[in-house]
Amino acid sequence: MKAIPAILLALLLIVSLVHGGSYSSQHRESIDAPPSWRFPLGTDDLGRDRFVRLLDATRISVLFAGAAAFAATLLASLAGGIAGYTGGWFDHMVVRTIDVLLSLPSLFLLLVTRALMPLNISPVLSLLVTYALMAAMGWLSPARVIRAGVRSFFDSEYVLQARAEGCSEARILVRHILPNLRPILLAQFWTSVPVFILTEASLGFLGLSAGEPFPTWGSLLHELQNPLMARPEAFAPIVAIALCVCCFKRITPWRVSQI
Amino acid sequence: MNPVLYARISADYPNRPGVLEDVEFAIGRGEILGLVGESGSGKSTIAMTLLRLIESKGGKARGELLFQDRNLLALPGRKMRRVRGREIGLVLQSPLSALNPSLRIGAQILEAWRAHRQGSPDLLQLLEMVNLPPEPGFLNRYPRQLSVGQAQRVLIAMAVIHRPALLIADEPTSALDVVTQAEILRLFSSLNRQMGTSILYISHDLLSVASFCHRIAILQQGRIVEANTTAEIFRNPQHPYTQALLAAIPKPPNCLETTTDCPSLAWSETINQAVDDGQYRAKDSLVCASRS
Repeated sequence: MKAIPAILLALLLIVSLVHGGSYSSQHRESIDAPPSWRFPLGTDDLGRDRFVRLLDATRISVLFAGAAAFAATLLASLAGGIAGYTGGWFDHMVVRTIDVLLSLPSLFLLLVTRALMPLNISPVLSLLVTYALMAAMGWLSPARVIRAGVRSFFDSEYVLQARAEGCSEARILVRHILPNLRPILLAQFWTSVPVFILTEASLGFLGLSAGEPFPTWGSLLHELQNPLMARPEAFAPIVAIALCVCCFKRITPWRVSQI
Repeated sequence: MNPVLYARISADYPNRPGVLEDVEFAIGRGEILGLVGESGSGKSTIAMTLLRLIESKGGKARGELLFQDRNLLALPGRKMRRVRGREIGLVLQSPLSALNPSLRIGAQILEAWRAHRQGSPDLLQLLEMVNLPPEPGFLNRYPRQLSVGQAQRVLIAMAVIHRPALLIADEPTSALDVVTQAEILRLFSSLNRQMGTSILYISHDLLSVASFCHRIAILQQGRIVEANTTAEIFRNPQHPYTQALLAAIPKPPNCLETTTDCPSLAWSETINQAVDDGQYRAKDSLVCASRS
């Protein structure tokens, strides 16, 4: 039972890798068509196969949210790790900066920054910019967690013990701090992915995610600007998003308890 | 003969100056010196200062610290690191938190070795030396799979892996039950005899210190108020604080008329023997007492 969302998501991902359809090809003879064998989720108002677009969106959204989460965790571990390790004025500065940035409304920042971009940038660039922006704002809370972890490790008895054994600082970092930091880093990564997927969905709904004709889960939701008028099959991306977020929420405690 | 270590040290923390005030003591070769004091008297600070680990906690040590003809307080950091673990070993108070939770025991012991030497030592023989099961399976365990007593033995194994000239034990038995405590004390005593390692044994428990230490120094509020041989401390305590410590040793009221079956009576005999014939017989009876 527990594995059902994961299996469905895996199926979706596999099919998205092997199917032959194109997300941008238009079927002019059947515009806004209802679901059929040929188009399981019908076509949109430009005559594009919704199912093919959903499959490609799955691949793009999961991949890019993962990449953004990786980038955010990397940034967070650099900032948080160095701050926790050095302490002193650098630590102070990083903590204050994070506090200030976290006190700003992040969705507002995202919207403003994204809306300030010129309208005629290429779809690929808009996609990259969207996820880069999320990574640039998503490292703040993980950095705090990682900094606190590193601090507590350096104050721990076993690091004192390692120092008493005569271990060098580099050795303490590699052999004593990093193994203990690993579960924290993984947890930050696994929790960031669903956050980014949901944020992208919000941006996409407002039309500020990837530009046409690129499909992402968010940009597919743009079709639902007027939800009361939309066809039921157009809600399929929401099901996919919920499925995926569900999976990642499951992964987190499971992965962490493995270590 | 020169002592292994001669210390005349003061230590300050930024928010607590004068934690140690001109604490002066020496440890002879092969000697076990007991350092007794109440919580907050600066016992652990002495351990931290001797290894200059106080610096990593933001503190500062002043004075003179002669160890094998070098003033440790004047050594550059890199050379001091070569002394830690290799020439002076440290056993910490809480064994389970002193072991890295995400490293296996074998890897942990190897870390202590590789801090100063290449290759790998005979780990099984090392385990045997500290009375741990000499099995590869034991080395694969994580700290959470050990008992406190086993963890303490692992720490002792790591502390003596380079056969240091001096071993500092900072309240190593305060987290242990009485039986394990007696076994650990016996282990220290036998390491002292086998390897000739001098031991600085820090504790708040005068009785356990008396059971195996050659000399005892009494620490109160950052100063050593009295230092003498174990027998003299018990026979003829000079300082009021020492007298108070002695008076605080529990006396068993209702066992006095019965025979030696009573553990508490054997405990009090421990003191008598420490006074009369020195520490080794006293230690043995301590072990018997805890086992009975």
